[in-house]
Amino acid sequence: MKKKIIPVLVAGAMLVAVAAGCSNSKNNDKAASGGDSNTIGVAIYKFDDTFMTGVRNAIKDAATGKATVDIVDSQNSQPTQNDKVDLFVSKKYDAMAINPVDRTAAGVIIDKAQKAKIPVVFFNREPLADDMKKWDKVYYVGAKAEQSGSMEGELLVDYWKAHPEMDKNKDGVLQYIMLKGEPGHQDAELRTKFSIQAIEDAGIKVEKLAEDTAMWDRVKAQDKMATFLSAHGDKIEAVLANNDDMALGAIEALKAAGYFKDNKFMPVVGVDATAPALQALSDGTLLGTVLNDAKNQGAATLNLAAVLAKGDTPSKDNSGYDITDGKYVWVPYKKITKDNMNDAK
Amino acid sequence: MNVTVKNTKAFLTDYAIYVVLAVLIIGITLTDPSFLSLSTLTNILHQNSTKAIIALGAAFVLITGGVDLSAGRVVGLSAVISASMVQLSDYPQKFFPHLNELPIIVPVLLAVLAGLVVGLINGLIVSKLHVPPFITTLGTMVIVLGINSLYFDMPPNNSQPIGGLRSSFTKWGSGTFEIGSFSLPYLVIIAIIVAVICWVIFNKTRLGKNMYAIGGNVQAAHVSGINVGRNLLWIYSIAGALYGLAGVLEAAKSGGASNGYGNMYELDAIAACVVGGVSTTGGIGTVPGVMAGVMIFGVINYGLTFIGVNPNWQLIIKGLIIVSAVGFDVRKYLAKK
Repeated sequence: MKKKIIPVLVAGAMLVAVAAGCSNSKNNDKAASGGDSNTIGVAIYKFDDTFMTGVRNAIKDAATGKATVDIVDSQNSQPTQNDKVDLFVSKKYDAMAINPVDRTAAGVIIDKAQKAKIPVVFFNREPLADDMKKWDKVYYVGAKAEQSGSMEGELLVDYWKAHPEMDKNKDGVLQYIMLKGEPGHQDAELRTKFSIQAIEDAGIKVEKLAEDTAMWDRVKAQDKMATFLSAHGDKIEAVLANNDDMALGAIEALKAAGYFKDNKFMPVVGVDATAPALQALSDGTLLGTVLNDAKNQGAATLNLAAVLAKGDTPSKDNSGYDITDGKYVWVPYKKITKDNMNDAK
Repeated sequence: MNVTVKNTKAFLTDYAIYVVLAVLIIGITLTDPSFLSLSTLTNILHQNSTKAIIALGAAFVLITGGVDLSAGRVVGLSAVISASMVQLSDYPQKFFPHLNELPIIVPVLLAVLAGLVVGLINGLIVSKLHVPPFITTLGTMVIVLGINSLYFDMPPNNSQPIGGLRSSFTKWGSGTFEIGSFSLPYLVIIAIIVAVICWVIFNKTRLGKNMYAIGGNVQAAHVSGINVGRNLLWIYSIAGALYGLAGVLEAAKSGGASNGYGNMYELDAIAACVVGGVSTTGGIGTVPGVMAGVMIFGVINYGLTFIGVNPNWQLIIKGLIIVSAVGFDVRKYLAKK
């Protein structure tokens, strides 16, 4: 008797979970439209990515009154995404918006799209240039990743020029710590490289005291920063982190070492403009961050896809965004400091 | 002469891991003498307190002959639950916009309870459905991540990192007692208290004795009248509660939380346990051993970062230490048999 109850309970639990999952996806991700019957299939590389959640919400908002969107999760797996694309094709959607898991796999998706004559807009991860040339109904919306790095560097340059005391040892060289994201991740490598390049381009000499990966993680960054503080102490003149979570972790370690009170300051910069980062900006602990404009990336993606779904050719007039080389929309990053915090809210 | 060689050999086998640790410390100190300092000690202790609590939880399960892969994700779940309820009332992006400031103990208990419930479910599946612990906890690991991500994605939070935690909460993670020029973090004291409680459970209670008996030989334990199922329920629940506590402290320490917290911590915890002499086949392991294992990894992580060793090499070194530590350990027991 007892033995039979358990499988029933398990099956029941699964049923509930499935039902909850379905109703959830309907509520959240199928934004119904007004009169227009065009449907756009949207595949996100994975749903639990903070930034892509912002883009996803922006797509949903922008779709109101323009088209119906069906947003699916590719679970950070390219084969899963390809299956979802097949699904869009078999449902005969009018356009697709794809955020590739693996940017080099876009060629396969373009082939599928071309065969089914469904226009496709890639976003946030740029397909290879050769793939983009395969068909004229392929577009890309994204930001230039290196720009997030160079803006991060520029934030430090601005501060260095306005605050000569930042050069603690007066040697004219900026001694810094670099907290990197996951090794090999495109954003991590580009931000690391271009942030420093921007500082050097401004004519400031730099010296790297330490560079280590904290895997985008706040706790790991905190531990690494505590280590660097005891290894290099007052020699450190600035901290650059590939994202805000790591910058905030570093700030926790700096606080524990007596910074951010009694006029002891350390310029720390990050990227993303998350809510906790904005709080740190207003507290005066974080010097600056760089906003990857989720709202405009989502809106531009949806607008292009909606225009394509109608069978029109996108232009500045019907999409609201400048189109470069006939297929690219570049959404710029924004530097965010305490002074223009409201732009990021 | 022969005897000395034999003794030296035996000594090296028995204490190989400590020899490796000593060599590493000497090497790191030679590279940068400022490594030997009070701040190094404070930092290493502070950074490894939560890891010690997770490793102790993992040790409970390992000693019964099981393994708990859900540890890291439970840490993440309880970090997010506790952080979501201790935000400043005037923080602009609150997880629960209308929640007033609760007494700190409420979110802490809820988060620990969440960990305990996951542990209890693990225990139920292992003992009642007889699903192997590896599979059980593999399943709950991904389920817990799913639940945590759903919670974390609830509007108005929409998967944004949680910040703006009250200082009455974060002080438990970052506060210190000043003893002369030495600052002792609260976290370390919490970890020591947890370790003492675990030591008592391991050595002075019936549950502890049963735990070793089950891990040593589950049939023999059953035949000798031990209620294996009930004991496993307790063990997995305690382990889950410990992960829950560690998650709370992790959020307090870093002043924030997101659903990625705790990722792969279970592997660090298991590595620390086996390096500290806990047998993965069950029945063997001590609290001081686990603490030593955690500290060995603590010193390695800190020291290698301190002297700026390339992070990829750090991974290789850590892997070699895990394999060789267990290699020596197995030889030690083989020799005794």
